Amino acid sequence: MTKAENFEAASGLKRRSVLKGGAALGLAGVAGSGLVGRALAAEPHPLAGQKIEMNILGIAGWGPSSLGVAMSPLFAEYVKAKYDYDVTFQFQEAPFADLFQKAATSLATKSQEFNIIISDSQWLGALAQPGWILNLNEIIKANPNLQLEWYSKAVVDTYMTYPDGSDQIWGLPQEGDVEALFVRKDWLEDPAERAAFEAKHGKPMPQTWEDFAELTMDEFELLADFFTRPDKQVWGFAQQYSRVYDFATCAFNNFLWSRGGRTWDATTGQVEGILNTPENAASLAEYKRWLKYCPPGATNIGIGEGVDVFVQGKVFSEIQWAAVGPAMIPEELKGKVLVVPPPKHGTGADAKRIMSMGGQPWVVNAFNDDAHMRVAIDFMNWWYLPETALEFAKRGGNPCDKATLSRPDFDDINPWNRTFKYMLEDGRSQDFWHDPKYSEMLAIQQEGYSAFVTDQATDPQAVMDYIACAQQQILLDSGTSKIEPSAMCAGTSL
Amino acid sequence: MTRLRATLYYGILWLISLCFFAPIGWIVLSSFKTQNEILAMPPKLLFSPTFDNYRALFANDGIFKQIANSVFLSLGAVIVAVVVSFLAAFCFSRFKPRGTDFLMFLLLSIRMLPGPAVILPVFLMYVAFGWKDSHLWLLLFYAMFSIPFSVWILKGFLDGVSTRYDETGLVNGGSWMHIIFKVVLPQVRPGLIAAFIFNLIFVWNEYLFNFIIGGVNTQNIPYALMVGTYSDGGLNWTFISAMTSIYMVLPIVFIFIFQKYLLVGMTFGTVRGEV
Amino acid sequence: MSPGMRPQGRGRLMDNPRTRVFILLAPVVTFFVVFNTIPTLWLLGLSFYNHSLTSGMPPEFIGFKNFVAIFNGKNSIWFDLSRTFTFVICGVTFQTLLGAALGFLFWGSKNMPGRRIALTLLFAPMVLTPVATGTFFRFIYDPTFGVLNYIARDGFGMAPIDFLGNPKIAFWAVLAVDSWMWTPFMTLMTLAALGSVPKAELEAAEIDRVPYLRRLSLVIWHHGKFIMMLGILLRTIDSFKTLDLIIPMTKGGPGQSTRLVALELNKQSFESFNMGWSSAYAVLLLLISIAMTSVFIYVLNLRRRKEAEE
Repeated sequence: MTKAENFEAASGLKRRSVLKGGAALGLAGVAGSGLVGRALAAEPHPLAGQKIEMNILGIAGWGPSSLGVAMSPLFAEYVKAKYDYDVTFQFQEAPFADLFQKAATSLATKSQEFNIIISDSQWLGALAQPGWILNLNEIIKANPNLQLEWYSKAVVDTYMTYPDGSDQIWGLPQEGDVEALFVRKDWLEDPAERAAFEAKHGKPMPQTWEDFAELTMDEFELLADFFTRPDKQVWGFAQQYSRVYDFATCAFNNFLWSRGGRTWDATTGQVEGILNTPENAASLAEYKRWLKYCPPGATNIGIGEGVDVFVQGKVFSEIQWAAVGPAMIPEELKGKVLVVPPPKHGTGADAKRIMSMGGQPWVVNAFNDDAHMRVAIDFMNWWYLPETALEFAKRGGNPCDKATLSRPDFDDINPWNRTFKYMLEDGRSQDFWHDPKYSEMLAIQQEGYSAFVTDQATDPQAVMDYIACAQQQILLDSGTSKIEPSAMCAGTSL
Repeated sequence: MTRLRATLYYGILWLISLCFFAPIGWIVLSSFKTQNEILAMPPKLLFSPTFDNYRALFANDGIFKQIANSVFLSLGAVIVAVVVSFLAAFCFSRFKPRGTDFLMFLLLSIRMLPGPAVILPVFLMYVAFGWKDSHLWLLLFYAMFSIPFSVWILKGFLDGVSTRYDETGLVNGGSWMHIIFKVVLPQVRPGLIAAFIFNLIFVWNEYLFNFIIGGVNTQNIPYALMVGTYSDGGLNWTFISAMTSIYMVLPIVFIFIFQKYLLVGMTFGTVRGEV
Repeated sequence: MSPGMRPQGRGRLMDNPRTRVFILLAPVVTFFVVFNTIPTLWLLGLSFYNHSLTSGMPPEFIGFKNFVAIFNGKNSIWFDLSRTFTFVICGVTFQTLLGAALGFLFWGSKNMPGRRIALTLLFAPMVLTPVATGTFFRFIYDPTFGVLNYIARDGFGMAPIDFLGNPKIAFWAVLAVDSWMWTPFMTLMTLAALGSVPKAELEAAEIDRVPYLRRLSLVIWHHGKFIMMLGILLRTIDSFKTLDLIIPMTKGGPGQSTRLVALELNKQSFESFNMGWSSAYAVLLLLISIAMTSVFIYVLNLRRRKEAEE
């Protein structure tokens, strides 16, 4: 059975939620007289004159999430003027590591506690499979506004589809996000530094976006090394190594993919033999090797810690999510930071980069009553209006639709926009599994990577074997895969 | 000479106390700094204090709801628990029904279980019955979690009250209700206070249960602390330090005022005495 | 107790030994059944099922498979248990020794100026919100911005110590915070134990010129041992439960180095929503805590018996 078939077989529930989604529209949808179809019709909105309170669950301490909320009064004005109903928003939040927990404990009770949720991309499966979130296929069909052309297939794969490769849509991109390299431009431009670097390496330091776009890790390492000066409390580089949530995983996948590895086979659910190759083990060792350019304590660096070391001027460069651009470049660093694509791995013509996708989709609670469902759909319609998308970008967000990203002025709105667009192109960024068991699989791998980078486990191959075997067992137990862990697995441990 | 020795001795004791308090002092100090001052290296001991962190804290409307929840849940749960426990403890102490020891044992074992093991089945039950994110059901759960503690404390105290009082009361024509509430109750006031204070501090500081079976409506301050760790991008040290500084005032004031109940409170009433 | 004297109906019910027991116990038993008995049975039942909240599939009966997985699987409970017991044994030993030492030190301080304030400062760590403590200690421990490393580096010229990022240190760093919070508790217990020693016996021993160490074992330990044992037991049970403190500090990392049982259960149940497996795990923890409670009660009864003898 393929994964998709298995999924069909497994979930009567899923079909139920599709029906429910259909019903929510259906109330609305028939021949344009229904709730949703009516958005364009002249007749009065079914909620006209009513007062609705919406609850959004978003990610605490995550700029783009708060932006979505900060912009919600604009939506309230919009619907007041257009449909004559009043809507107020309550924003609930939880940190990355706890948000899925918060959402799932609530949705498991079929609660309407959160009407719209900003989900992380890899949760799509875990939220869709039990039928907790609304299947959006019918909604999109009924709402021309939502039939957008996205910037790349990566957008659709990352934020919208589950199971991978199917045509089932469960989310719409709220914030697009890619890995970017944040570099201290003012340090690069310092004539003394330039002279010193040239004297040492016989070539100038890269200066421009174009220089960096062509840079390989080997070339970049010279820079990282050059700026690593522990006696001055300054280091050359930082990336995430933290055990919390997916921090180490995303940063390591940059290495794994760029160096030609894969994490699993999405159709058969095979992990063992794909993840634990000697090449991937070597990538893990390479990922760890970069610690020597990072400040002490780097094995605990996550998103927030990374922002702190960069903003406090402790590091020259950092691979960080484009979405935290506003926090990485506060007022005092304006004009002093260059945001470029992370360096390529490999050498010469073979050098390539495949980095992790970040970002979050909006998902809609499947248990919303008709009124809240209607507002949620109006909200989605409004969110993807060209004006809204532009406003979002201007406030520091990263929209994903082709129209906005293709605007001639888009590249200049934020310092990271050019890199964002560049990295969003197909083949440059991708997401990891969306499987409902992602949380268990992730926990295993976070522990493994964290153990390796902190010297608790010393053999990268053994770590990869352990992870692959444990993940294979999880997928087998959950029925996602038919492949059993091999005999070798009995001996693996962390 | 002895004076000098005494001064030295007390000086050392004070120094030890201050050492234990130092990290807390550091939190309080940080709450008056700006984010950059908090992160400054070398650490700043001298700085011009700012109240901006506190202003920012209270500028957020949600905070009042969370404080109200903290107060409501801890007070409500503990009052319910103490009343219920007092009746039960009276029964155990005076009438010694069969199975007293076993029940006392079971009650205590709830408190001995790691939090997630306690809340896991309760969560599943709350899911099934739709009780999640309800003030009432969260309050009742906290009450039930405070009961074992209170029963143990109160039974210890009730055992110490001579039954002669009950008998005198009965002979004088008082009803049992009269005896329980008018004669015996006043004599175990220290036990009531200890049960009250220490359960209150527990519920006040509780995070996990609130996170799992509470929700939007019932979130308390520990929840807010956990959720507010990150601000847009970085770690939100100003929020953490200001919030913590405010939130710990109540428990610390309590252990100052009720110091003589500290021992009883921290040991389920199994150890009596003053320090 | 003549029957003519009962004025109210409620009073009459209270005279019947059966009904009065029932009335007084009804509330507590109701609470107990609703919030403990039913959930516990639920837990027991579910421990034999494969049930994942995120799979969208109904629970499936799998017998003892969850237990087998817990004991033999990749994520076997033995690692977590041995780590937890190391945590408990080292922590409680240290806290008891230091706490007792401080207790002896504070013993003669009845006339100390500002004693009450000093004790409040000393006892403050144990009433703080653990979530806040953990978060803030992460900051104090931070290798780049933390004050501890500043002292180590600029005060003693040491290389920066990555307290929570180094798996060899992280466990002990967490333990140190736990000890900071709970050493005062053992001081409290020591003071109580010392307080239970009759003054007359102490004075008699002093007059008899009994050597100090013998005085300690003969008089002080003889009277104080039960309180100390209760203190140690309470601490053992409490530190077995440690969770709130570790979540903000390390989340069980780096690697698995601070993953205690409570943390693993929390992760499996409320992050992965693996309810069957977690129920089985919780059942095992329940058995352990029942065992610990039994020891606690046993010591209590010992004390009671001894008091009865005297």
